[in-house]
Amino acid sequence: MSNYYNMPKLPTENSPKVEIFVDDRPVMVPGDTNLLEALKAVGIETPHICYHPYLPVSGNCRQCLVEQEGPRGRMLVISCYTPVVPGMKIYTPASSERVKNARKATQEFMLVNHPLDCPICDKAGECTLQENFMEAGQNESRLRPEVGKNYHGNPDHQFVDSKGQVRGGKHVDIGPRILLDEERCVQCDRCVRFMRSVAGDEQLQLAGRADHTYISTFPGEKLDHEYDLCVTDICPTGAMTAKYFRFQKRVWLLSHTPTVSMDDSLGANIWLDHADGKIWRMMPRCNPQVNRSWLSNTSRMAFQTFSENRLPAIDASAIKIGEGKVAIVLGGTCTIEDLAAARMLKDSLGGRAELFGGTFRAVGKADGIAKSGDPMANRKGFKVMGVGDNNLQDLVKRVSEFETLITVNADLFGEDAAAASPLEKIKNRIALSAFDDATAKKATVAFGIRHWSEVQGTMVNSLGILQKLNAAPTAPEAELRPAYEVLSQLSGTAITCASKAFKKAGEYASVLAEYSYDNIKSTGALLNGVEV
Amino acid sequence: MAECVKVCTGNFGKGAQDIEVYKKLGGYGDALKRVFEMSQFELIDYVQRSNLRGRGGAGFPTGMKWSFVPRNSGKPVYIVVNADEGEGGTFKDHFLMMEDPHRLIEGLIIAAWALGTRTAYIYCRGEFLPCIESLNKALNQAYAAGYLGENIMGTKFSLDIFVHRGAGAYICGEETALINSLEGQKGQPRLKPPFPAVSGAWKSPTCVNNVETIMALPWILQHEPEEYAKMGTPRAGGTKVFCISGDVKNPGVYEAPLGTPMMTMINEYAGGVVGGKLKAVLPGGSSCAPLNAEEAAVATMDYECLASMKTMFGSGAMIVINDTHNMVDLLNVLGNFYSHESCGQCTPCREGTGLLHRILNLIVDGKGHDGDVELMQSLCGGFGGVTICPLSISLGGPVSSYTAKFRKDFDEYIAKNPDHAKPRVQETYRPGIFW
Repeated sequence: MSNYYNMPKLPTENSPKVEIFVDDRPVMVPGDTNLLEALKAVGIETPHICYHPYLPVSGNCRQCLVEQEGPRGRMLVISCYTPVVPGMKIYTPASSERVKNARKATQEFMLVNHPLDCPICDKAGECTLQENFMEAGQNESRLRPEVGKNYHGNPDHQFVDSKGQVRGGKHVDIGPRILLDEERCVQCDRCVRFMRSVAGDEQLQLAGRADHTYISTFPGEKLDHEYDLCVTDICPTGAMTAKYFRFQKRVWLLSHTPTVSMDDSLGANIWLDHADGKIWRMMPRCNPQVNRSWLSNTSRMAFQTFSENRLPAIDASAIKIGEGKVAIVLGGTCTIEDLAAARMLKDSLGGRAELFGGTFRAVGKADGIAKSGDPMANRKGFKVMGVGDNNLQDLVKRVSEFETLITVNADLFGEDAAAASPLEKIKNRIALSAFDDATAKKATVAFGIRHWSEVQGTMVNSLGILQKLNAAPTAPEAELRPAYEVLSQLSGTAITCASKAFKKAGEYASVLAEYSYDNIKSTGALLNGVEV
Repeated sequence: MAECVKVCTGNFGKGAQDIEVYKKLGGYGDALKRVFEMSQFELIDYVQRSNLRGRGGAGFPTGMKWSFVPRNSGKPVYIVVNADEGEGGTFKDHFLMMEDPHRLIEGLIIAAWALGTRTAYIYCRGEFLPCIESLNKALNQAYAAGYLGENIMGTKFSLDIFVHRGAGAYICGEETALINSLEGQKGQPRLKPPFPAVSGAWKSPTCVNNVETIMALPWILQHEPEEYAKMGTPRAGGTKVFCISGDVKNPGVYEAPLGTPMMTMINEYAGGVVGGKLKAVLPGGSSCAPLNAEEAAVATMDYECLASMKTMFGSGAMIVINDTHNMVDLLNVLGNFYSHESCGQCTPCREGTGLLHRILNLIVDGKGHDGDVELMQSLCGGFGGVTICPLSISLGGPVSSYTAKFRKDFDEYIAKNPDHAKPRVQETYRPGIFW
C-alpha cells in the first residue's frame, strides 16, 4: 500500500560509483540506487521477501534490515528503501549482532503463522522464505504447541482439521490458472503490487488486517489476466501456485536452459526448465532491457505443444529441388543462422531462387510488459540479414513463376488457408518444419527439423537486441537437425555448428560481423544502426 | 487545587456550540484580526515563541512542524486535524469537539493562515457521531457568518473545512495512515521519507495536527505567546487537557498546566484513588509503560520527566489502577486490542502482536508455563525500531515494562498451572503434526 508510486532505482553499468563504509570497510558501490541493490553489486546478499526490483517498494517484510550510522546513533533501517548516500556507514550481520538478531527475530515472526510443511510444499527448493530460513533462521521453535498458529485466510475458506486446529484455505481456486494456499501466504503483497503497477489491472488486494490478513480478489471476481502466472513466479512462498505445474515435478530435479522465447518479436528471455527430455515449465529470465522479470501466459504456456505433433526426421536425399525457379519461404521463428543458410542456398542456386518471409497472422500492439504483439519473432533479424520480412503477398501474386516451394518453419496454410491456397499451384512443395502442421500435410516432402527450443542460434528482437538461443535437450528424436544444417547441406556446404553459421551470417550482414557467437552475453547485445 | 487558566476547556458547559455564545465568550474576535495583520512567518514565529508542542502524543513543537512545510512546491498545502482519537484511555478530543467546535474552527483558520492553506480536513473518528453533528452544525454557522468560505472577514483569504469520518481503525491515528485513509485507500502507514510535510495527502504538503494543538491557538493569539509559555515547563509551554480514568473518584477531562505533579492530578483533580491503594498509573494512554506507586509519587506530568522515567507523556490520558487488579488481565486486554488493530503490513507487528496475545491468553487461562514471560520479553526485543510505524512498540513496550515491574502478578498466574514447571518437551518435527 505504501508509496505505490515508488519504484526502486536500479543500478546500471553507467551508475556513478560512490564510497560507502560497510562494516567500517570502504567499498565503492553504485550511487544512484537503494542500499540493497548497492550491496548486491559488491557481493553482499541481503535477504528479502517483499522487495522486487521491478515492483514498487513496499517495505513490509522487514527482512532486509541493516544498521545505519545516523545523527541519533546507529539505527536499524530497511536496505530496500534506503538510498545510497556517499560516505554513509552501514553495518551488516557480519559485524553487527543487532542486525543479526533483528533479522533472526523477523524470520521467526515470519514463520509464526506459516505452516512448516516444506516437504509437501510445491514451492520447496525455490522458496525465498525457505532459503532465508536455511541461511539465517533458528532451527528450534521457541513456541509451545499450545500457542498454536493463527492461519491467515478468508474466513469463508477456513476449516477445522482433525487435530482441532483452525486452518486457512488450502487450495482456493483464485483464477483459471492459479491456486492460492492462504495458509502459506506471508502478506508480502508482491502479487498485489504486480497486478496494480505492472499488469495495470488491480485484481488482487490484501483484505483484513493484523494476522488475519489474506489475499483476495474482489467478490465474485477471478484472477484472470494475460500476465497472471507471473504472480506465481514472484510469490516468495508456496501461496500462489500455477495449476499446470502444481505437483508435476520437484524443482530441484529440473535443469534450466537459458534461451529466448520465439513466440513474439520482443524475444522474452526465458528459462526452459526440463528434466527427462521433457520441458516441464517455462520461466521468465530477468533481462532489464527486454522483459524484465515478466512473461505472458501465451508465451509461457506455448511449451506444452513443443513436443506434440512432431514431424519425424527423414533422409535429406528425399529433398529434390527441381530445375525451375525456387521460392524459399522463411517463418518468423527462423534464427539468424537459418537465414544465413537460406542465403547460402539461394546463392548456390544462382538467380533462380528467391527468399520470402513473413506471416499471414495479424500484427498486434505492444503491451509494454513482455510482448510486442508481432508473431514474427525474428523480424528485425530478417531486416538485418537482408531477407524480406513481409513479402508473402508478392509470392502469392507471382506464384505461377515458381516450380519449387521450400517453407522453413512457416506454417502458411495453418495461418491463413485461404490466403495461402494459391501456393498449392506450385508442384514441388517441400516443408521443413518442426510440426506436422497444415503446410507439412500439404507438402510433397515434409522434413522434420528441430524446434527453436532445441537449437542453438541467435535472433534480433524488436528492440534491436541480438539475443542467443540455447538448445534444451528435449528433441523427440536425436536425428532431428536444425534448419540451418539442412539448408546448408542443400546448398552444398554443410554447416553443423551454430557459431560457424553465425560467422557466415556476419558475411551477409556487416553489423553482425563484429560479434562472435560465443561472446554474445546472456542478456544480448544491442546492435548498432538497427532501426527500432 | 490551584486555579488554572483554561486554554482549551474554558467554554465547557457554557453552550459554546452556538456561534453567538462563542462570540460573546470572546471567539472570532481580536485573535483573528490580529492573525490577518501578521505575515505567515510572523505567525509561525509567534507560535514558536509560545512553546506549543503537539498534543497528539509525540510532542513535536508545532511551530517547527509548520516551518517544515515547503512554500514553493506549486502544490496546495493541506491541514488535516487528527481527531481519530483511538488510544486507550483518551477521550479529550471527543469532549473538546463536542463542547467547543467553534474554537477548533477558529484555530484552523489561524493554522491555515500560517500555512497558506485553502482546504482543511477534520479526520474524525467514525464512532463520534455527536461530535460530527456538533462540528457540522458549527461549520454551517461559521460559513453563514462569513468566517469560512470565500474571503473570510473581508480579507482575500479563503478556507474550506471538511469533516471526514474515519471507519474505525486505531492505526488511522498515525498521520500517514490517516492520510491514506483520507485519500480513500486502506489505512496503512506509509514508508517515510517523504514525510507528510513534503508529500502527504494527494502527494501535496500536508500538516497533521491534533485537535487540542489547534484549539490552543485562539487563546495564544488572544494573549501573548510568552504568557502561554510561562504556564508550562521550560521546554513545553502551556496547559494540557488530561483525561483521567480508572479507579478514581471523579474520572473526566481536566485542564492543568504542564509540569503538574502526578499525585496532584490524581488526588486533587480526580478526587483520589478509590477501591484500594494505588498500584500503577499509565500516564499517557494504553501504549505507554506504567509507573508503579513509588514512581507516581515523584512524577510530574510533562514530556521530559516522563521520558526520563522510560514512559511517555503521550496524549495525557492517565489510567489509574488500584491494587485489586492483576496486571496480566490488563495486559491481556492490551494484547487483544493491539493484535486486532495491527494494520497487517510489517511482519513483526502483524505476526508478533497476535503471538503475544496468544501467549497472554494462555497465561490468563491458567495454562502459563515457566519461561513464557522471558519468551514474551525476547519477542518484544524483535519489535524495537524495525517497523514502519510504532504500533508494534505500543504493545511491545507495555509487555516489557509490565513484566519487568509487576513480575509477581505474572508468576502468580503461571503458578495456577500445576504443570508450569515441567520441562518443556522439545517437539521434534513429525510429518502429520500440522496437516
